[in-house]
Amino acid sequence: MKRTLVLFVMLFLPLGAQASEEVYVFNWSQYIDPAVLELFEKETGIKVKYSTFESNEALFAKLKILKKDGYDVAFPSTYFVERMRRLGMLKPLDHNKLPNMKNLNPDLLNKPYDPDNAYSIPYMWGSSAIGVNAKAVDPASITSWNDLWNPAYKGKVLLMDDVRDVFAMSLRSLGYSGNDTNHEHLKEAYEKLLKLKPSVKVFNSDSPKQPFLNNEVVIGQIWGGEVYQANEENPNIMYIYPKEGATFWVDNMVIPASTRNIDYAHAFIDFMCRPDVAKMNCEYVGYATANVEAQKMLDEKTRNHKAVYPDKVDIDRGEFQADVGETIIIYEKYWEMLKTQ
Amino acid sequence: MVRKSRFRNFAIGSPMLWIAIFVVVPYIIVVLFSFLTRDPEGIVRWEFTLANYREIISPVFLRVCKNSFILALGTTAITLLTAYPFAYILTRIDENIRRFLLLLMIIPFWTSSLIRTYALIILLKANGILNTLLLSLGLIDEPLSILYTETAVFIGLVYTLLPFMILPLYASLQKLDRSFIEAARDLGATSRHVFFHIVLPLTLPGIIAGSTMVFLPALGLFYIPDLLGGARSMLIGNFIKNQFLTTGHWPLGSAACVILTLLMFMLLLWYFISTRKAHSGGMETVR
Repeated sequence: MKRTLVLFVMLFLPLGAQASEEVYVFNWSQYIDPAVLELFEKETGIKVKYSTFESNEALFAKLKILKKDGYDVAFPSTYFVERMRRLGMLKPLDHNKLPNMKNLNPDLLNKPYDPDNAYSIPYMWGSSAIGVNAKAVDPASITSWNDLWNPAYKGKVLLMDDVRDVFAMSLRSLGYSGNDTNHEHLKEAYEKLLKLKPSVKVFNSDSPKQPFLNNEVVIGQIWGGEVYQANEENPNIMYIYPKEGATFWVDNMVIPASTRNIDYAHAFIDFMCRPDVAKMNCEYVGYATANVEAQKMLDEKTRNHKAVYPDKVDIDRGEFQADVGETIIIYEKYWEMLKTQ
Repeated sequence: MVRKSRFRNFAIGSPMLWIAIFVVVPYIIVVLFSFLTRDPEGIVRWEFTLANYREIISPVFLRVCKNSFILALGTTAITLLTAYPFAYILTRIDENIRRFLLLLMIIPFWTSSLIRTYALIILLKANGILNTLLLSLGLIDEPLSILYTETAVFIGLVYTLLPFMILPLYASLQKLDRSFIEAARDLGATSRHVFFHIVLPLTLPGIIAGSTMVFLPALGLFYIPDLLGGARSMLIGNFIKNQFLTTGHWPLGSAACVILTLLMFMLLLWYFISTRKAHSGGMETVR
C-alpha cells in the first residue's frame, strides 16, 4: 500500500520544476504553423512548450487557477483580454522589446478593449456578418441585419449557436451596441429575436458554411473566413457587411501574470510579429492576419477577398466584441427563453 | 499464495483507484460546487448557499427537462417497437445468418458516434444522397426537408441507440423456453394470447434493461439533436454546458448536474425494483 502511495505521489509531482531555456505557449488548437515553432527554437535556442485549448472560458479557468509557473504567452479573444486585464491576470507589455509591432495593421490597434495595446498584441482577426446564397437571394437587395426578418426567407435562415453573436446582431439591428448591458435593450433584442425564431432553420456556430453549401439555408450569419473557404466549393455564397456594422473579433497574444520568463515571452511575441512568420501562420491557419506586411506578401486573390480583409469603412462601421461582465447572465437567461420557446 | 492475493489486490485495486480519482473525486467537487456561490472574478466563492437549487427550479429549466424527457421517451418507444420483432426473428433464424446480422450491428461501433452523426447529415441533407436518389427516380419533385427537423433527430437517436435495445432483448428472448409456447398452443392459446401472456412477461427483464440503456443516454446525448435538429431547442446537456462555458456559472451548472444524476438514480432504482418483480412475477404467470 505504501509503495502504491509513493507511486501515486510521484505521478503528481510538478514536472517542470527545473528552470531552463523554455517558453510556455498556450494557444487555440490548429492555430499556428508547427514549422514556426521549429524556426523559433532554431533561431533563439529557446525550447517551446506548446499546449492548446478549445475555448476562451477554458483558457480563463486555467490561468485563474495557475498562480505561478504558468504560461508565458496565451491567445485570448478581445473580450477576454479586457476581463483578464481588469482582474490583474496579465503583465503589461514592454513595447521596446517588440520592434516588430510596426508591422501590425493600425486599424486593429488601440481598440477600446485594450487602449494603446498595453497588454495585448493582435494575432488573427475576422468578422461575422451576413451570408447569402446568390442563387436564391439577390445580394444587392441585402443591406441590413433587418433583412433576415424578411418573411420571404422563412425557414431558410441560419443563426450562430452563440448567445453573444446572435444578440449582437439583434441589438445592432435595433441601433444599439452589440456589447450593450442595458437590460431594457436586451429585452427588446430578445423580443425581436422571438419574431425571427420561426424563420430560423438551424443554429450553427461549428461550421456555418455547411448548411449554406448543403442548400438548407439561403441567408444568415456567417464568418468571413468560412465564406472564403466555402467559395472554393461554391462561388455563389456571398458575404455582405450590413450597414449597421458587422461584429469583429480579434485573437491576441498576451503575457499571463503567472509567466516564468517575461523576456522569452516578449521574444516569442515579437517573433510572431515578423512578416515572414505571420505569413506562414496565416497561410497555415486560413484566417486574416493582423500583420499588414504579411498581408502584402499573400497572393492577390486572398489578400483582396473582402470577406477576409474588409475595407476600412466596413471595419470602422463594425464593432469589436467586448466583455459585458455580469450582464452575460441576463444574456444567457434570454437565450434559454429563446431556445425553449 | 501470497503472489496470488497480491495479483488479486492489484486487479481489484487499480480500477477502484482509477474510479476513485476520476469519477468519485470530480463528482464530490460537483456536489460541493452546487452549494457554493458564484464568483464573477474567478470561479467559485467559498460561501455556502442553496440559491443555485432555488434558481434552477424555474419554468425555463422545467421546459428544458420536458424537452429532454419527451425526446428520450420517444426514442425509447421507437427503439423498443423496432428492436423487439428484430430480436425475435434473430432467435429463430439460421445460426450463420444470425451471427452475420449480429456482426453487422456491432460494426458501426468501430467508428465514433459523432462521425456517424456527421455521416447522417450527408445522407439526409437537401442535396444529399437520399434526396438525390429519390429525385433521380422521379419519386419526388423537390427535395424533402428532413435535416434540421424532429424526424432527423429521431432518426439519429434511434440509429445510435438501437443496438442497446436489441442486445438485451435478444438475450432474454433467447433464454425463452420454447416448451412453454408449445404447451400453450397445445392447450389452445391463440398467437395473441401466447405473446401477451407468455412471451411478453418472460422477456420483461430484457425490455426493462433495454429501455434503461436507451433512455438514460438519450437524456444526455445533446450533440445529436444539435447537429441533426439544428439546435433550435435546449436540452439538459446544452443547459449544463452553457452554465460552464458561456456564463461561467459553475455552481448553477453543478446543481443541474446533481439534479440530472438524481433523476437517473431514481430511474435505476426503479429498474432494479421492477426487474426483481418481473423475475418473480414472470415465473408466476407461467406457473
